[in-house]
Amino acid sequence: MLRIDGLSVSYGAVEALKNVSLDVPPGRVTAVIGANGAGKSTLMRTLAGLEKPLTGRVLFNDEDITGGKPEDIVRTGIALVPEGRSTIPDLTVEENLKLGGMWRTHAQRATSLTRVYALFPVLGERRDLGADTLSGGERQQLAIGRALMTGPQALLLDEPSLGLAPLIVTQILELVELMARDSGLAVLLVEQNAATALRVAKTGIVLNLGEIVKSGPAQEIAQDEELRHAYLGY
Amino acid sequence: MIDFIDYLLGGISSGAIIALMALALVLVWRSTRVVNFAQLGQAMFTTYVALTVRELTGSWFLGLIIAMAAGLVVGVIVHFLVIRPVKRLDTSGAIIATFGVLIALEALAAMVWGGDPEAFPPPINNSGYEAFGRIWPFSPYDLLVLASVVVLVLALSVVFTRTNVGLAMRASAFNPEVARLSGVRVNRMLVLGWAIAGLVGAVAGVLVAPLSTLSPTSFDIFLVFAFTAAVIGGLDSLVGAVAFGIGTGLVIALVSGYSDSSNAPLVALVLLVLNLLFKPEGVFSHHKARAV
Repeated sequence: MLRIDGLSVSYGAVEALKNVSLDVPPGRVTAVIGANGAGKSTLMRTLAGLEKPLTGRVLFNDEDITGGKPEDIVRTGIALVPEGRSTIPDLTVEENLKLGGMWRTHAQRATSLTRVYALFPVLGERRDLGADTLSGGERQQLAIGRALMTGPQALLLDEPSLGLAPLIVTQILELVELMARDSGLAVLLVEQNAATALRVAKTGIVLNLGEIVKSGPAQEIAQDEELRHAYLGY
Repeated sequence: MIDFIDYLLGGISSGAIIALMALALVLVWRSTRVVNFAQLGQAMFTTYVALTVRELTGSWFLGLIIAMAAGLVVGVIVHFLVIRPVKRLDTSGAIIATFGVLIALEALAAMVWGGDPEAFPPPINNSGYEAFGRIWPFSPYDLLVLASVVVLVLALSVVFTRTNVGLAMRASAFNPEVARLSGVRVNRMLVLGWAIAGLVGAVAGVLVAPLSTLSPTSFDIFLVFAFTAAVIGGLDSLVGAVAFGIGTGLVIALVSGYSDSSNAPLVALVLLVLNLLFKPEGVFSHHKARAV
């Protein structure tokens, strides 16, 4: 579904990604793990169109979307939930949601909104409150909800665990995993918190200094002690 | 005491107009983070357009409508021709470029319409209402000004809070990256911000012209007042712009009444300095602090 082929990205002289290739299949979670500065966020931002790759291609449903603008890429069905503060505190909860997918028909948007409220009931209860009144976990749900409002086939989650209590992270990720299985959503999850990410993922990919050093079934990677010590630091 | 009431009454319509001008500055600031010092130059230009239309057709209202359309167009032209290319290089460069636009517009207006002040008579009676055996400094024209401002501000607030376009514009102002990721074409929203600001400024220009005369530089002083109001309001708050626009108008009316109107710019400066000393982020701002 989402295919990344030989992607390289540089910031000036610094190579953030080197020849990265991977597939993100539908109906499951693919986790990219690695330490701080491994290039995880760069990968996500490039897929969403926020950074331009030096070389390589991004294919989505066999369509070449390399180097597209974020507002065009989201229309093809790829939605990014960026790292940290990705809700707008000055808007209400519902306004944050309605921001997603304005190009879609009224009926499509109404269906998505109902679905998001069913998925995250707390958002429905607080729909008219300012997003700044939400807790960290609720805000992350809102950010995911906004991405779902665009009607994505692929969901990119950048470090959703950042600043959240472990229990809440597990809840949110399990919900995402369920969603992927139920609706055939392709989920690419990027996490520093490797243990949690690998629990919900089918496939794990270890990124180090911009290069893929290992990929395989998530369980295998979770149990590989050498890998853990070398790249994940626990 | 009766003086005080007179001065306040006399300040309401100019306060309402300053509110519109401050609103125009805020709309541009929110969309592109540029203070548009040419905003009232644009308004001056479109008011000349209104004057020409009025002289040709005899209709004040038609002049207003054409001026509003011209305001939209001039706003878009300034954005594409000057701001977008300059801002790609440097934001503070774009702010300085707006001074260039102001000077260019004033020169152009002087070439087209001449530099001498022209009368822009009010469309309806501008002498004060009579009640309780005296004449109050509030005229039917002041009422028209007030009503126009209220209608425009209400229309804008409906657009901003109740429509998709308004939501997209607000989101683009608060967080352009999240807006783009949500599918909003942020660049179009910026253009729209300049267009609406141009329209609002055009209305302000047509409304303010009858209070004095129209010349290429006659609106310059209002830039000082509008800028003061916009900054005190927090520069990115529409509510703040309106509230402090009216407030600034009233303060200026009091100062002019009790002392002399030539002191008004000085008082505006004092207000600005006090604001920057004690509440630099602005009263209604969304941001915690602003570097001074």
